[in-house]
Amino acid sequence: MTRRGNRSEEPAHLPLHLILIAVTLVTLYPIFWVFTIAFSGKQSLAIAELPADPTTWDRIRSVIPWPADVSFSNFTSVWNDQPFGLWLLNSAIVAAATTVVGVFLSCTAAYAFSRFVFPGRRAGLMSFLVSQMFPGTLMLIPLYIILVQWLGLGSTRIALVLVYAVTAIPFCVWMLKGYFDTIPKELEEAAIMDGASPATIFFRIVLPLAKPAVAVTALFSFMTGWNEFILAATFMDKENLYTAPVGLRFFVGGFSQSWGYFAAGSIIVSIPVVALFMFLQKYLVSGLTAGAVKG
Amino acid sequence: MATPAGALVHGRRFAAGVAVGVAAAGLLGALALRAARDHEGLLRAERTDVVTLRALTGVVEAAGGTGDGVRKGVAAFAAQAPELAAIRVVAFEGISLEASTAAADTGDKAAPRRLDREEKDIFDRGQRIRAAVETNRQEGGARKEEIEIRPLPSGGFGFAAPVELGGNVAGLVDVVTAPVSTRLGFGPGAALAFFLVPVALMLLAWRPLGAHRHLLAAVAVAGVAAAAWLYGGAAVRTLREDRSATEAAVRERMASSGAAATAALSAAGIEAPLDPQAWDADLFRRPLAIVAPSGIDAAKSAASFELEAGVLRRIVAGLAALAVAIALFAGYGQAATLFGILRKHREAYAYVAPAMVGMSILVFVPFLYGIMLSFTDSNLYNTNQPISDIWIGLKNYSAILGDFRVVTRAQDGSWMVNFDNFYYTFFFNVVWTITNVAIGVSVGLVLALILNTKGLALRPIYRVLLIFPWAMPNYITALIWKGMFHQQFGVVNQVLQIVGFHPIAWFDRPFTSFLTALATNGWLSFPFMMVISLGALQSIPSDLYEAARVDGATKWQQFRGITLPSLRPALIPAVILSVIWTFNMFNIIYLVTGGEPGRSTEILITQSYKLAFEKYRYGYAAAYSTVIFAILLMYGWFQNRVSRGTEAA
Repeated sequence: MTRRGNRSEEPAHLPLHLILIAVTLVTLYPIFWVFTIAFSGKQSLAIAELPADPTTWDRIRSVIPWPADVSFSNFTSVWNDQPFGLWLLNSAIVAAATTVVGVFLSCTAAYAFSRFVFPGRRAGLMSFLVSQMFPGTLMLIPLYIILVQWLGLGSTRIALVLVYAVTAIPFCVWMLKGYFDTIPKELEEAAIMDGASPATIFFRIVLPLAKPAVAVTALFSFMTGWNEFILAATFMDKENLYTAPVGLRFFVGGFSQSWGYFAAGSIIVSIPVVALFMFLQKYLVSGLTAGAVKG
Repeated sequence: MATPAGALVHGRRFAAGVAVGVAAAGLLGALALRAARDHEGLLRAERTDVVTLRALTGVVEAAGGTGDGVRKGVAAFAAQAPELAAIRVVAFEGISLEASTAAADTGDKAAPRRLDREEKDIFDRGQRIRAAVETNRQEGGARKEEIEIRPLPSGGFGFAAPVELGGNVAGLVDVVTAPVSTRLGFGPGAALAFFLVPVALMLLAWRPLGAHRHLLAAVAVAGVAAAAWLYGGAAVRTLREDRSATEAAVRERMASSGAAATAALSAAGIEAPLDPQAWDADLFRRPLAIVAPSGIDAAKSAASFELEAGVLRRIVAGLAALAVAIALFAGYGQAATLFGILRKHREAYAYVAPAMVGMSILVFVPFLYGIMLSFTDSNLYNTNQPISDIWIGLKNYSAILGDFRVVTRAQDGSWMVNFDNFYYTFFFNVVWTITNVAIGVSVGLVLALILNTKGLALRPIYRVLLIFPWAMPNYITALIWKGMFHQQFGVVNQVLQIVGFHPIAWFDRPFTSFLTALATNGWLSFPFMMVISLGALQSIPSDLYEAARVDGATKWQQFRGITLPSLRPALIPAVILSVIWTFNMFNIIYLVTGGEPGRSTEILITQSYKLAFEKYRYGYAAAYSTVIFAILLMYGWFQNRVSRGTEAA
């Protein structure tokens, strides 16, 4: 252990490391558990089968997250025997489209709320905030009526993309607006003096400067589209249009108890979001705190 | 509002407003009448074809549903019924096609024969209809349609009706009608001329009444009202004529189908009475009793028409109100002001518009629609009825909020908590939110303080590993934890047994069930607080601490005096957000505890979901959700006041 500074000023590092290691292990245990089940090659949710009269060692073995036999069979069957690849593709299309639409809608609106003073500005911002409190269950039936009966978008990916992108708007707008507020206006004024059009200012000056916040917006929109399952389960009644979350619940919902498929599928589904999240998380802190503090 | 220059400006504005208003109302009115007429056209095809179908079904039933008699009868019927392109009769026993006049069913496919695999849809239709008939009979009502209609690409329709023998559904008559046009098209275009009345009135009144705005408004209102009255009358008359034509067509069909049925019965060699009056029926096979071969019951016809006439009248009245609103809006100068504002800030509105349009259609309209549902008794059985028929006012709210029986006395005298009661669920929801946010904030803050220690090795690695729970999709997390709390195989119980405890049936008692959800959500939510706190901690300038140290402040004093106040601006919004998120944390409760045992761990949002999608009480569930919204809104308002108050202090 390296120790710097005065001992009476700085706390000892060893106990801190012990606490952090303990917390990290507890935090990661469920993830290890999923990996164990996924690589066990079985559908059971027990790590090891207990004999009729288990000893303490048997019990300890059954909580150590390492499979009895390492096998890839859950991954291969999820991919080959189940339509999981198709569901994943559906999710990818929906999430990607949600990101594009969500980022576009949020950036334009947030820019207006940050830069222009216009009648309805306060009411608009307020209505975005209040809409965060609308209970999802209140909207589900009306949304079904509007999208399926009025707009005829039942069992289409467009319906999901539109709903996801729009539900992500309020959070993204508040966050982006907070960030735009911190960009000095003088930059734009200088650009106007140089004869730049408003669109140029928005796309060439403001957006590049707001990259961290835009990245967080994109991440948030993507995660909304990738992770949501209630609406997807309600609107998609054709099995070939299921998204990955609906498909995963299909493995362990109702009478089906295919924990091995679920675990393998969960890992496949989580990898892209976790990777994106980790890649963009440095922006997340700055984006969130800027939005939160200035909001 | 700016005073317009020149008195005539008022007249011009009113005239323009009336013109725009009546143009909009006239267009929408014409579309509404067209929709009503096309609906009548469909109804006409449906009612006449149902008559033929019922006549044919009667012949098949009289012939016993199977055998040569059916085939002869169907052939004779088809010869006299040119409106049918194909007739097929199926008997469920032996899954056999008993008779067919379809072009495909000749040669070696001629009836009688067993249905092919490709013809499974016909058989499925029969089973659906049988189930519908049995359901309706059991419920003593009419909920599932007993005659199925499907539009065909050819322009005709497919009709299917049950064949009943001895009180049981034993088969199916499936017919395809020849292509017909059901479009009746736009109403009398001349009637739209009535909308010129208010415009003409305005043009006359414009100059003489120039400066008297209220008089101009009165003229506009009177003109629009007169136009609406005239147009509404003409529209209802047109629709009435359409309905009379429908009834005449039904009567005509009764005669021709009666003749076909008589011929069919004699071809099959059967003596059976015909009851043409019962043939005019709805899709639940209930006789309408309006048209009989002898004539049309004018009183009943008028009564059945009144509903549609009422709808049309209400639409026209609504359109008139719209036209008046537009006229007054323009006339009193509001429109000019609005256009002025829009033009002045057009750039800002252009940027906001896409998001606003999306939010309106997919967030605000559904929200208002949901609130409207909360005043109705909408449920699975009445979704097709108009809102006004199922309106019950505040009954749902009084049933939810007026029920204080939180604890009841059981038969043996012990007290029992009524877990379905709103106040119990609300109490549980509050406990759930407070415990979760407290755990999230304290764990997150402690970890952030540890991670903020200067010079601590491996800091970035800990940080990345600790935010994993946040990165994972939360429905996966929830299902993982549910698996880990499994009574027999779950690792949590294994650990308990290693330490020497008995395994716990986690989901059998409310408290332990609550703990599972708490553990799951605690695991899920601390990284957010940790990241927020860490960000805020790192932005505190270190010279503040230096200065404090120089002044001789203790660690605790530094924490109280510098760290906590600097954390507050970041933590307060984070806490508000996390209170709202946790209060409505649907996935965790729904997937981990599922409300077990006996709805005791249900929170408000999962309860309202189950009311809607397991008990199908849409109206009641909407009222429940509206109450949740009201609670959150009050919380937000209260929180806003408190944080403003503390900021000012």
